[in-house]
Amino acid sequence: MAGSAAVLEDSSLLSRLDRALLPIERFCALLSGLAIFSLMFLAAYSVVGRKFFGSPLLGYVDYIEAAMPIIAIMGVSYVQRDGTHIRMDMLVGALHGRVLWLFELISVLLILVLIVALAWGAWEHFDRSFDCSRPLCSRDSSIDIGLPTWPSKLVVPVAFGVLVLRLIVQAVGYGRALILGLDNPVAVPLTLTVAEQAQAEASQLAGHE
Amino acid sequence: MMEPIDIGLWTSGGLLVMVLLGMRVAFAAGMAGFVGLVWLRWNGFDYDPARFGKALEVSVRIAGLTPHSKVSAQVLSLIPVFILIGYMAYYARLTTALFEAAKRWIAWVPGGLAVSTVFATAGFAAVSGASVATAAVFARIAIPEMLKIGYNKQFAAGVVAAGGTLASLIPPSAILVIYAIIVEQDVGKLLLAGFIPGAFSAVVYAVLIIGIAVVFKTVGPPVKGFTWGQRFAALPPALPIVAVVVIIIFFVYNPFGEAWGTPTEGGAIGAFIVFLMALYRGMRWSELKSALLDTAKLTVMIFTIIWGVLIYVRFLGFAELPAAFADWITSLTLSPMLILVCILLAYAVLGMFMDAIGMLLLTLPVVYPAVMALNGGETVAAADSAFGMSGTMCAIWFGILVVKMAEFCLITPPIGLNCFVVAGVRDDLSVQDVFRGVMPFFIADAVTIALLVAFPGIVLYLPSLVG
Amino acid sequence: ATEWNVSVWGKRRAFTEHIEKIAELVSEKTGGEFTMNVSYGGLSKNRENLDGISIGAFEMAQFCAGYHPDKNRLITVLELPFLGVENLDQEVAVSHAIYGHPAVQEEMAQWNAKLLMTSPMPQYNIVGTGEPRDELAEFEGMRVRATGGLGEAFTAVGAVPTSVTATEAYQAMESGVVDTVAFAQHAHLSFGTINQADWWTANLNPGTVNCPVVVNIDAYESLSDEERAALDGSVDEAITHYLANYGELLKKWDAILDEKGVTKVVISDEELAAFRTQAADPIRDAWIAEIEAQGLPGQELFDLLTTTLAQAKGTN
Ligand code: NA
Ligand code: NA
Repeated sequence: MAGSAAVLEDSSLLSRLDRALLPIERFCALLSGLAIFSLMFLAAYSVVGRKFFGSPLLGYVDYIEAAMPIIAIMGVSYVQRDGTHIRMDMLVGALHGRVLWLFELISVLLILVLIVALAWGAWEHFDRSFDCSRPLCSRDSSIDIGLPTWPSKLVVPVAFGVLVLRLIVQAVGYGRALILGLDNPVAVPLTLTVAEQAQAEASQLAGHE
Repeated sequence: MMEPIDIGLWTSGGLLVMVLLGMRVAFAAGMAGFVGLVWLRWNGFDYDPARFGKALEVSVRIAGLTPHSKVSAQVLSLIPVFILIGYMAYYARLTTALFEAAKRWIAWVPGGLAVSTVFATAGFAAVSGASVATAAVFARIAIPEMLKIGYNKQFAAGVVAAGGTLASLIPPSAILVIYAIIVEQDVGKLLLAGFIPGAFSAVVYAVLIIGIAVVFKTVGPPVKGFTWGQRFAALPPALPIVAVVVIIIFFVYNPFGEAWGTPTEGGAIGAFIVFLMALYRGMRWSELKSALLDTAKLTVMIFTIIWGVLIYVRFLGFAELPAAFADWITSLTLSPMLILVCILLAYAVLGMFMDAIGMLLLTLPVVYPAVMALNGGETVAAADSAFGMSGTMCAIWFGILVVKMAEFCLITPPIGLNCFVVAGVRDDLSVQDVFRGVMPFFIADAVTIALLVAFPGIVLYLPSLVG
Repeated sequence: ATEWNVSVWGKRRAFTEHIEKIAELVSEKTGGEFTMNVSYGGLSKNRENLDGISIGAFEMAQFCAGYHPDKNRLITVLELPFLGVENLDQEVAVSHAIYGHPAVQEEMAQWNAKLLMTSPMPQYNIVGTGEPRDELAEFEGMRVRATGGLGEAFTAVGAVPTSVTATEAYQAMESGVVDTVAFAQHAHLSFGTINQADWWTANLNPGTVNCPVVVNIDAYESLSDEERAALDGSVDEAITHYLANYGELLKKWDAILDEKGVTKVVISDEELAAFRTQAADPIRDAWIAEIEAQGLPGQELFDLLTTTLAQAKGTN
């Protein structure tokens, strides 16, 4: 479910960290959006070139494949910030108070463990393709025009690195809520009921007609 | 030492628990896959404590290369492009244009405005990859007009919630692309296959509405009195939709000769046309930026589930679970058709509690090979198969059935998302109102699904034209 | 007991028969002690198979040199255009000679990989639609699906290599994205491009791709002596089986062309010679210069290839 939840803010250090991270995340997501936009032009250019000028774009597939990690992964932390990644909220939707924060904390800590492991593995995947004693530092290249693959592989550990910071902020936020027994903690996406979520989604579209 | 298949089952159980406890589906799947990989490898080392580090290291590397490896595929670029078309379409004001045209041309039938709404949502489906967005937009445009001429408000809301579900069957459809990628089938053929069932669903809805309007005179009077001049005047603003439909069809299958290109190119050209239209209608950088951010957000959300689930699928490959499940399904003494119906019913139940994309990604790696095995295998000829169709055709048919099933779940209680969205847009409607209003459309959908199962030709006619 | 995971892709076909055979042979020779579990796409994507070997995800895998030339610079010598390889026996001989060179083995060892055997492929002749192109001038502006060294060769004579994956080749041809597709015969059959074709070049023989089967070095070294002997001793038999199987397929090829109404295009010796001077020599020289510039024995490998080929031609 694509609805996003609210993240409360105040003047605490945690909330300031939350807000400091946000522009970085939004920038990453915008990169993803711009990559999608360029994809549209690239394909249009390729078709027009082929149909009307008999000169297809050499390496078209290689360029698209290199752009895909930016499109698909760069914004991962922006999406985690306001809880847009889908989940089944039957159970957590019914919980509140400390029990809810406990469940959320466990969930975020598990994600943190996973992402640290994946960031490590993704870094090694990049590292295997990177060797600066060679031309263009390339130890792995694409199929048609021999584009080095390391820049696109580097996108993944970078995006996961930002996500790790975000997860730490959220873990602290939930942990704090759990210990202090808060009702409306800052820096974490607050669980909305499905109805509230739909309301948020509907108002998000309101300005678009 | 445990059997790999047992590790597969335990880990899948763990995945289910994590999902039920509210962990984000993408990460729960990734976690299950990662833990499963470590477990499987350490099991292979007889749980020697000294070799746990090695098991962990190899698993981190396998899991860590999966996100990059899996998203770097040209065919996946269709998904963001399809999502972009939908967002651009708002700024191009295609929704209002479509509804106005549908109203002027077809609102003269009994239940006229409701029928117009269904066809307008079907038209919008041709530029929108996502169902929920369609329902939200039409709740704002169509419901007020229906209420103005005395429609029952529950019924009006139900029409919009149901009409919204057409977006995922009629191309462009992100969900069909995802299905095609998981099961490694031709994306173009699947997109083509969606057209007729999507249009067919719209017709079944329309027939139902006309029937209701004829029996209960109070529901939906016809709207007459548009001149031909007014009708034709309504067409030009809706033209980009026609252009997009024609382009996507002709890029996949051109009935008059060579197709124009690949589906990815067709989608991109379609998005480009809608983009030009949006520019013409006054879209500027700030709007474009928010459209791009929204597109990126939805795209990343979908891709995160894709790579998360594919880490889990990678583990399943090492655990050989899909093959074991397929063996089990084919060893059952029930008739294949009965088993297929049970699988579809299971999807109906699951869909009541889960998001469609998450549901498909989580289940297909295991269910799809089983269905293919049930039919007689990937390469079976139509004559030797259980369902009377070749392996490729069975993959397409099952895909459309599953996607229709997932769409059906968008309007079923307790979490039918389209109903919540419609209620969210309208202050005067409660969720119960919308669920009550959408009830007749359950019957329409059940009939549609039954017909698609009984007459696979509805699904397979178009794809069978493409060699 | 030792169980190896083997990562290949696609479906079981002529191209994977030696792997299926070697799995059968080692199990037989070790009385079921050493088994191989061949997975078609379940363990890795084809272009990540070498990464998978490097990290120990699985013990044996197949890949093609052209997928990622920078990972395996040296064996791309086998994908240079117009080497003059005439049949699969010669292809095996040159591949295995190159695989045996210490520099090649060292480059593969950086990926923790040991080259076990090749997957010999016949020359990648092209199928096309419309009027047969049997003169060099007609290659100008031709949109051809070809990768690696072959792609470069076609570029040299004015054609435009257009990249589509093997699985998209049929649709690309049908939709006019490409006019021609370069494949080995088994691939023209399994990807359906033969069904779109009006003609096939019988003697263009521009080159082929090279797809070795490799094993993880650590896994190889931890085999018992008996298991290792069973593996090494089965290579020749597996290759023989592969060649016999592919030979059957090639025998049927002419009948298939007849049945589908595909014209066999024979290109004149003068045209072929012109193609070679325009494409083969400059590309080979550029390859050698580029490899030598990185401090690797490019010239030596190319000479090894030509002498091995000459010997192979002498003996059969
Ligand atoms: Na759609
Ligand atoms: Na639902």
